[in-house]
Amino acid sequence: MGQEAREVISINVELRCDHKCENCERFFDCRDEMKWKIYRRRRMAQAIKKMSNIKHKITISGGKGGVGKSTVSTNLATALAMMGRKVTILDQDFDGSTIPRMLGVQGVKKLRYGTQGIIPAEDTLGLGMQVISMALVYPDEVITMFHEMRRGTTEEFLANVDYGERDYLIVDLPPGTSSDACNLLQYIPDLDGTITVTVPPAVSQLAARKATLLSAKAGSKVLGIIENMSGYICGKCGKEFDLMKRGGGEALAKELGVPFLGRLPLHPEVAEACDKGVPFVYKFPSNPVSEKMKEIARRLEEEILQRL
Amino acid sequence: MGVETELKELNVTEGCNKKCEDCEKYFECDLSVKEIFKQKGILSLIRENLKNVKYKIVVLGGKGGVGKSMLAVNLAAALAKRGKKVALLDQVYDCPAVPMMLGVSGDARLMIGEKGLIPYESKWGVRVISTGLILDQDEVIIWFHEMKRNATEELLAAVDYGDTEYLIADIPAGTSSETVNILKYMPDIAGGVVITVPSQISQNVARKCIYILKSARIPIIGVVENMSDTNCPECGEPASIISSGAGERMAREEEVSFLVKVPVSIKVSTSLDDGEPFVIKYPGSEEAKAMDAVVNAVVKHCETIKGN
Repeated sequence: MGQEAREVISINVELRCDHKCENCERFFDCRDEMKWKIYRRRRMAQAIKKMSNIKHKITISGGKGGVGKSTVSTNLATALAMMGRKVTILDQDFDGSTIPRMLGVQGVKKLRYGTQGIIPAEDTLGLGMQVISMALVYPDEVITMFHEMRRGTTEEFLANVDYGERDYLIVDLPPGTSSDACNLLQYIPDLDGTITVTVPPAVSQLAARKATLLSAKAGSKVLGIIENMSGYICGKCGKEFDLMKRGGGEALAKELGVPFLGRLPLHPEVAEACDKGVPFVYKFPSNPVSEKMKEIARRLEEEILQRL
Repeated sequence: MGVETELKELNVTEGCNKKCEDCEKYFECDLSVKEIFKQKGILSLIRENLKNVKYKIVVLGGKGGVGKSMLAVNLAAALAKRGKKVALLDQVYDCPAVPMMLGVSGDARLMIGEKGLIPYESKWGVRVISTGLILDQDEVIIWFHEMKRNATEELLAAVDYGDTEYLIADIPAGTSSETVNILKYMPDIAGGVVITVPSQISQNVARKCIYILKSARIPIIGVVENMSDTNCPECGEPASIISSGAGERMAREEEVSFLVKVPVSIKVSTSLDDGEPFVIKYPGSEEAKAMDAVVNAVVKHCETIKGN
C-alpha cells in the first residue's frame, strides 16, 4: 500500500463524566465515592424496598447467545421449586424472551397491574413459580429498544414489581456484556452471585470469560460455571458422543479460579420440553440429565447458605 | 389486593425529538425529518466510503448461538475461495469471535493508514474488521447504545475497504442497537441471510429478524437452519439434538426462501476452534455442501440485482 500505518489503539467513541451515573459505561470502574451515595438514593431505594423479602438473588449469564441460559434458568428454577422453594424468574432478555414459553405460560397468562405494582404471572404446573417477562406484555412485537429504554425497563422490573416473599429470584440475562447485563448488575440490590453458562468449544470461552469478568468487575460473587451441551447421549444405542470438543467450560473455571458446577449433556428431549412448555427436570425427574440439574440446584444452595 | 388490570404497555416510550440517529422507530417512521437525516452528515460520508463495495450482505438471527458468526465466516471464506474479493465486518462488539474463527492470532492488531483503518488480511483471503483486533481479550466491553452507534459509524465511514465485491456484516443477537444501527447506516444492503436452529422456541426471534428486514426494506435472501439432524457415529441412527424442521416451517409461513439445513457436527465446532473454516478444511463434506447452497443463493441474488 505504500502508506505509513500505525496500530489502532482505541476506537474514538469515549465519553466524559457528566455525573449521570445511570448512563455511564464506566460505572463499575469508577472510584468516585459519591457514586453509591447518589446512586442508592436516587435509583435503588425503591428496588431495595420492593425486593426486601427475597432471600437470594442469582443471575444466569453467559456472554454468548444460545448456550442455554434460559434453559438452565428455567430448569434450575424448577428444580429449586421442586425442592419446595418459592422461586421467581426475571426474564431480562427483552428482544428475545423465551422463558414464558418454556414455562408454558405464554399466551395463557399476562402480567397484571395491581395497587402494589406489576403482578408476576404464575406457572401452570402448581409449583408456585412466578415469572416476569417482556413477552408477557408484548407477545409478538419486534422489540427495538436502545439503552435508555432498556434501563427504564430494568428499573421497572426491579422497582415496580410486587415480588412478595420469595426464597429465590433467578435472573436470566441476554447475551452481551453491555446494556442489559450492566443495567441489571447496577440496579439489583444485594445480589448473591452469578452463574456463567457456557458450551464446550474453545471459541465460546471468549464470551464466557468476558461475562464472568464482568460479574467480578461489578462486585458480584461468581458462584460457578456450567458447561452445557457437553456430549450427546444417543437415544437409540445409549452411547455418549461429542458434538463439540468437550472441556472448555471446566478449563475456563480452572483458569479463572471459580467453581465448576458441572456438565449438562445434550438430550433431544430437553429442547422438546422447552418447546412444549414443560420444564425437562419436572417432566423427566429421574433422567440422568435431570439428576445433574437437581444436583447443580443442591450445590448452588449449599454454596449460598455457606456464605451466610 | 385492590383492583387489578392487565398490563398493556411499559411506561418507557418517548415522542419524536428529531434525533433520527437515536430513534427506536426509525424504520416505521415516514416523517420528512428522516429523509433529511438520510441525505446529510455521516450517512453521506459512509456512502462515499463504501462506493467501491459492490454487494453488502447482512447475516443475522436474533437469537444467540444459532451460528451467525459460523455462517458469516464460512460464507466469506467460500466466496474468497471462488476468487471474490471479500471483507467481513464483525458487528459483535461485546464478545467478538470472528478473528479466532478465521485463525487470526490473538495479538494481531488493526492498523490505521492514510485512508483509514486497514482491514486485517486473514489466511483465507478474507479481510476482517473486528473490535477483537483492537481491544484486549480480557477487556470487558460495556458500550451502551450511543457508543455502539459511534463504533458502527466509524467502522463504516473510516475503514479503507478499497475494492470489495462482497462486504459481509455479522450482526449479534437481539433486535435492538447493533441490528438497527447497521441496517440504518449501511446504505443499499443487497440482502440479508437469516439463520436459525430447528427448535420451535427459536423461531419467534428469527421471525422478528425477518420483520425487521422487511420494515427496513432489505431483500431477504433466505433462511438457513443450523444444527439440524446428524447421525450417531456409533450406531448410525439419526440423532437430532433438537426436534427438526421448525426453521423450514417458519420460512414457509413468512413466505421467504428456505435455503438449506446445516447438520450439527463436531467438524463445524472444531473447525471454528482451529480457525480454519470447514468450507476449506472439509471441502467435500455434507457441511460444506450445505454451505455451497448458501453461497450459490447469495451470488445468484446479488447478480440478479445487478441485472436490474
